[in-house]
Amino acid sequence: MATVETRALTKRFEASNAVDAVDLLVKEGEFLVLLGPSGCGKTTLLRMLAGLETPTSGDVLIGGEVVTGLAPRARNVAMVFQSYALYPHLSVRGNIAFPLRAAGAHRDEIANKVETAATMFGIQSLLQRKPRQLSGGERQRVALARAVVRNPVVFLLDEPLSNLDAKLRASARDELQQFQRRLGTTTVYVTHDQVEAMGLGERIAVLDRGRIRQLGTPLEVYHDPADTFVATFMGSPPMNLMETDHVIRGFRPEHCLPREVLGDGGEITPFALTVTRIEYLGADRLIYGTLEAPNPAARVIARLPSTITLPIESGKRYEFAVRTREIKYFDRETGLKRAPTAA
Amino acid sequence: MSDGIKSVLTPAESQEETQQIHGVSRRQFVHAAGAAGLAASVGPFILPRSARAAGKTLKILQWAHFVPAYDKWFDNEYTRRWGEKNDTQVIVDHVGIPAINSRAAAEVSAQKGHDLFMFLWPAPTYETQVIDHSEIYQECERKHGKAIDLAVKSTYNPKTRKYFGFSDSFVPDPVNYRIDLWGEAGMEKGPASWDDVLKVGRKIKDKRNIPVGIGLSAELDTAMAMRTSLYAFGGSVQDQQGRVTLDSKRTLEAVKFVQALRKETMTPEVLAWDASSNNRALLAGKLSLCLNAISTTRAAENEKLPIADQLGLTKALRGPVRAIGLEHVMDCYVIWNFAENKEGAKKFLVDYIDDFLDGFKASQYYNFPCFPKTVPDLPKMLAADPHMPRGKYSVRGDVLNWATNVGYPGYANAAVDEIFNTWVINTMFAKAASGAMSPEAAIKEADTKCKAIFAKWQAKKLV
Amino acid sequence: MSASIARQRAAAGRNRPWCDDEALLGRMLLAPAVIYITALVGFPFFLAIFYSLSDATVGSTTLHFVGLRNYEGILQDPTFWRSLQNAIVFTLISQALVVVLGKILAMALYGDFRGKWLVRLLILLPWVAPMSLGSIGWLWIFDPVYSIINWSARALHIFGPEIWPVWLGQPDLAMASVILVDVWRLLPLATVIILAGLSAIPQDIHDAAQVDGAGFWRHLFMINIPLVMPIMLVALLFGIVFTFTDMIVIFVLTRGGPFDTTQVIASYSFFTGVQGGDLAAGAAISLFLFPVLAAVAVVFLTLARRAEVA
Repeated sequence: MATVETRALTKRFEASNAVDAVDLLVKEGEFLVLLGPSGCGKTTLLRMLAGLETPTSGDVLIGGEVVTGLAPRARNVAMVFQSYALYPHLSVRGNIAFPLRAAGAHRDEIANKVETAATMFGIQSLLQRKPRQLSGGERQRVALARAVVRNPVVFLLDEPLSNLDAKLRASARDELQQFQRRLGTTTVYVTHDQVEAMGLGERIAVLDRGRIRQLGTPLEVYHDPADTFVATFMGSPPMNLMETDHVIRGFRPEHCLPREVLGDGGEITPFALTVTRIEYLGADRLIYGTLEAPNPAARVIARLPSTITLPIESGKRYEFAVRTREIKYFDRETGLKRAPTAA
Repeated sequence: MSDGIKSVLTPAESQEETQQIHGVSRRQFVHAAGAAGLAASVGPFILPRSARAAGKTLKILQWAHFVPAYDKWFDNEYTRRWGEKNDTQVIVDHVGIPAINSRAAAEVSAQKGHDLFMFLWPAPTYETQVIDHSEIYQECERKHGKAIDLAVKSTYNPKTRKYFGFSDSFVPDPVNYRIDLWGEAGMEKGPASWDDVLKVGRKIKDKRNIPVGIGLSAELDTAMAMRTSLYAFGGSVQDQQGRVTLDSKRTLEAVKFVQALRKETMTPEVLAWDASSNNRALLAGKLSLCLNAISTTRAAENEKLPIADQLGLTKALRGPVRAIGLEHVMDCYVIWNFAENKEGAKKFLVDYIDDFLDGFKASQYYNFPCFPKTVPDLPKMLAADPHMPRGKYSVRGDVLNWATNVGYPGYANAAVDEIFNTWVINTMFAKAASGAMSPEAAIKEADTKCKAIFAKWQAKKLV
Repeated sequence: MSASIARQRAAAGRNRPWCDDEALLGRMLLAPAVIYITALVGFPFFLAIFYSLSDATVGSTTLHFVGLRNYEGILQDPTFWRSLQNAIVFTLISQALVVVLGKILAMALYGDFRGKWLVRLLILLPWVAPMSLGSIGWLWIFDPVYSIINWSARALHIFGPEIWPVWLGQPDLAMASVILVDVWRLLPLATVIILAGLSAIPQDIHDAAQVDGAGFWRHLFMINIPLVMPIMLVALLFGIVFTFTDMIVIFVLTRGGPFDTTQVIASYSFFTGVQGGDLAAGAAISLFLFPVLAAVAVVFLTLARRAEVA
């Protein structure tokens, strides 16, 4: 188990920086998620941690030691790829054993460890099969088994669940988290899926254009976004933003409720909304609307739990409100979080 | 020389006539009818002469001559003139030597091709595919006297009594030597015998490090040179009756001699040669002697190489039994059974012999006449060649006394042809000369092979 | 009457346009290949069998059945056995070299570097150039008098004054020379095929192997080579077929010489059948290519299928 650290880590491709002076510290045994849209540099960052990509500048430290110039094999990290990258010509056993053989382990030791890893992921019965004879979920388990078999100090996971169907993904997520807790191995996990990030990460680093926009626990990142990018990237639907003079006010759709539902407890900020569309999602209702004067005509989405049965019709005007303490403020120029007081 | 001539008088003339009548194919008939119809309808309106001329064509295929000037004369002057006189459009195609046999095979299997097809060697294998050419010989002999024995031996099959080709000319294969080097060694006139080549050639090689160059490879010039030495030592592949006689004491002597010649006067490069290597090496000053046609000396003259003046020619080398040389190449025209203009082809050959003197000149004395009377002043003309050293071409004046055919002393039959083309004799000499096999074993092996080949062709009733 | 008309209409309705009929269309699209193979492979092959059992010569049109006489003659012919042996040696050595060098070259070309397309083009040239022209070029390179190898080596003092190899005139050197030219000719194809195989391996696999701790050799022998093996076998199969049946290199460079030490089945068949005029014997000799090639094809296709990956 070890810490993973980057210092001003930069990777330049062509004209732009894919990773731009990133400073990151992953604590020992931590499950850290790198979250961001495609092209944000999260995979490049992960590959630099693995040693598959050479940084343009900056350093990578594992366990406090600079490993920037070291080859992947010298870093004792394990990586699981989005495609799983199983060796197609080797059996499951051969795949799992590969890192051990590469490390020159003894035959008996290999057999033991392969057995243990296979048991951990419940794939003992598949050891003789070739990867092409496995289902997606089975392949993913083999890839994980191959990663854990030689007790690496760091796991690097590159969207390992994205090739699974939605149902499988939920249970896989659960398993993944359990085994990480059990092993306690420092883990860096790359994904573009915020649900995965929220569910798995002890901390989430939200990346955009090669920079970390925010690093924090899932709750912090969700409820206290550092800037408008994080605010709109997290959450589905994203945070509503209302631009006024020098400030941008933001609130989550689930905080935006009909005025009568909120009642009078505490300070509220009311506004009028013309409903344009209604979506029924089972547990929730999504109300799409446009703000009425005096507010600027912005689009707003409200999420009403199905417990609120108040009839709302498209095309009509309703009074909505947000508890004032739920409102976040961002600087209109920089998009950064700021104090609520108006300038 | 006499045994071939008698049979000239036994052609199957009547058979030839009937063949022609039945030989007109439906396609030929349709062609002819179509052309006639076209000429009749369009003729009155446009150039009636060209329409008439288009009715007859003569297609000739022959090699790309070593003397390019000859092709120029043949294609652009002679055949054009002949075509105008005979109201025929003459088309001449040329191919390289290595393509001749494959081209012939292709034409035969397609049963379509040229009216006149020229091989550079006897082509007995195609006997059943060609007309009997005796008629042409008869007509030419009536006008110009007897054809040389070499021509008859190269185009007549005594077994079937058929002329399977017509030879208009041949090219002698004299000895080419360096006058300066041989002069220095006291032999300015060049070697007269194979023994001279061994003794003096060795002397020159030891002194000047310039070897003798007689090929021991799988190629034409080697095939000729090896037979020349074989015959000079009294050996032969077959006897006059076409029985294999290779495994003899005489052959052994010849093989042992060539073995010594290779060891003492030559370098291993002769084992790697192709047909033009000896020309190149001689012109590069890397050889003291080789056996080749006069194309080498002509090339030196045409390119104005300084070495040209130092190249001398001498006649066939004397061996223990006889002094004998081979033709270097043998023009053998054939007219296919399936030729479309057989009459035109026959007439062309007869006319060409009438005009042979022009051809002899155009070839820069390369093509020698098969009907000697067509070039009556041959020795005088050779002597008058202006190139230095003067009179060097005269040595070929009495070539008919020392030149013979492949298959000597018998005929150039199909078995001899296959033995020639699968390089059996070349390989025999090369194996012994390089020490890969004892002379006795090499001869034994070649003899077995020759016998197998003869047996094969005898079974096909062509030998 | 009206019932039959209705039936006809129904039938017409079921008949889609021919281009929508996949079975028919498939057969039509396959037809050119079938015709091609029948006309240019099948027909000559059966013709060769037919000839080999006959007394065919280049000059005959009527054939007689002679049974296995041609084969009997060939089996007693030492030159034939020598040719068979030469063909096998020629093929094995040149293809071993082609596969090893092709792999190395493909790996060198796999990486990214400046002017890669130019290098790739240059490497492909020998394959694109007509074989006969290439061979004639080599003929000059090996010329006993003008050999550029010898002149250069002498100028660089690699060869002493006494050393002047005659490349095509000494049996071992001649074999080495024709092998070299064959390697020169087939290397581009093998390289490109192997390169395609290499490119088909996902980058992830290489990355995974790196992270899993494989060094260069382990990566090469446990990942790289096993993964391109199926396609390498295809390259090898092509190479063996091309080499074993080739006569251009031999025909241009040595014509089987010196004294049959580079004679191979294909060239001997040509010399006997076309040049020598004994078409039947030539066909019979050439047919000895067939069992060898068929066996090679079966072995390799089986291996390739077994090694096939998803």
